[in-house]
Amino acid sequence: MTLNSIEAVSLSKIYHRSRTQALSDITLSIGRGEIFTLLGRNGAGKTTFLRIAATQLMPTKGKISVLGHDARDEPLEIRRKIAVVPQEGGTIGPLTPWDHIYLTLLARGLSRGEARGRAEKTIEQLELTEYRNQPADSLSGGLRQRVRVAMAVATDADLIFLDEPTLGLDAVSRRRIWGVLNEIQKEGRSLLLTTHYIDEAEILSNEVAVIDRGRKVLSGSPTELLRNVKERVRVDIVGSTFSSEELNSYGRVVKLAERFRVLTDDQRGRELADEAMKRGSDVGLARVSLEDLFVDLVGREEE
Amino acid sequence: MNATRQFRAAVIIGYMLSITWLRRNLMSLVWLFATPFSLLFIITVTTGGRSFALGVVGSLLLVLSTVGTGIAGDATWYRLETKLQDFFVASPVNQIGYLLGIAFAGLFFASPALVVLLPLLVYIGLPLISLPVVLLSLAGVWLFSSAIGYLVSTFTSNLRNGWQSGLLLSVLVGIIPPVFYPAEILPHNILLVAYAIPTTHAALLIRDAMGAAPNLPYWSPLTGWLLIAVSLAIALAVTSRVARWRQP
Repeated sequence: MTLNSIEAVSLSKIYHRSRTQALSDITLSIGRGEIFTLLGRNGAGKTTFLRIAATQLMPTKGKISVLGHDARDEPLEIRRKIAVVPQEGGTIGPLTPWDHIYLTLLARGLSRGEARGRAEKTIEQLELTEYRNQPADSLSGGLRQRVRVAMAVATDADLIFLDEPTLGLDAVSRRRIWGVLNEIQKEGRSLLLTTHYIDEAEILSNEVAVIDRGRKVLSGSPTELLRNVKERVRVDIVGSTFSSEELNSYGRVVKLAERFRVLTDDQRGRELADEAMKRGSDVGLARVSLEDLFVDLVGREEE
Repeated sequence: MNATRQFRAAVIIGYMLSITWLRRNLMSLVWLFATPFSLLFIITVTTGGRSFALGVVGSLLLVLSTVGTGIAGDATWYRLETKLQDFFVASPVNQIGYLLGIAFAGLFFASPALVVLLPLLVYIGLPLISLPVVLLSLAGVWLFSSAIGYLVSTFTSNLRNGWQSGLLLSVLVGIIPPVFYPAEILPHNILLVAYAIPTTHAALLIRDAMGAAPNLPYWSPLTGWLLIAVSLAIALAVTSRVARWRQP
């Protein structure tokens, strides 16, 4: 039995119709019981990887095994043990959250008692109790998304795929879903999620892979990834009275709308923050985050 | 999952996509009743009631072929908009279970119309002993239409084309063949083309069961059953081999 839930070796995907190379030579290992996040911009290839691993899409080249089975040749063995939240799907008109969750659990082969128990628990976890018997088409977009997430997390699957599970959700709902995903992980189950929310990847994941234009740019734990950033802190200055030369002397400067962000070491960061406050600017001083690394990795070429 | 569990999954999917829907959305009933009952009304009025029986047979077949071919639109919606197909691909439910589930949903949607039309058929002359013959031929049409509707949906890249394909198939399978009018009035060459469509044979078999045996070249109840069976086998075989469950 393999220790990893997913092993991909030199995985590539070309969409022949649009002649797009969506994935290029991706090699990844995702451990059992891990929350693994694919982080990347829109169109980076995250969903393509997830769909291949979830046996929804054929790869063009390379190998991928999921829960010890070859995804190309043994999809039936894999499908017994997985569940998926597809990206930007919808709910079905007049069906209630209860119908969506309970009936799909029954269709997956669970007994009535087990399906009822799991549906009840998930509805409570995702704070859908108040809405459980309301038609889905009368619910807000955020509640409908929670129902879709519930349909997958309520299953007994060993590996759950979540494609942008918190897209369009408010901060409270996102945190609620993160809590549920953490609980699933504590049960020893694995999760592969895609997101372009960097805070989500940072807070939730054991491992992150940054994907850009179909290629894996970097992977590791969020802490490991941050070691790739030279600077330690960032200083955000609004209403700057500094000249470009002055700011550049403190560190690397990034212009963000009306603010300047200076990436630098601890000491110079504190000096710059003190100086900016003396000059009456609004200042924020913080540790560099995954966002700084991400922008560095995938945004540099565009700049 | 074994075949029994796939069948259970199909019934649950069918229930989920139809009964739960119908319970809270009665408008769907009006939609399904509209076309067949309108045609029945027009045919009855324009022939002074003489073709009422043909109209009932045609309506029955149109209802079942429409809920089948309508899968072209419904399954496209489930695949592209709700992503329900993606959800079930990554689950123990297989393609046949899913297809059968959507087909059951169509059948459940059609059930109120069947509850009206089948007793009407008995009332106007179908011997009760022949009811199984009618049900079997209707089942053949329903499964054939569902298979081709689903097959088309898996190749459809947008929702509008899905609904349009469903409507086109419904016209080709349920309205143009001789189901609302006697096959005897068709020119020879066109009749041979109509023989390629199973609804033609279902209509002829129901007429035969009602005692109005058709008098047509190359046709007998046996050839009718045979051609329904062959077209159904071809539709199911092509669908299970060609339809896209996992995307290429």
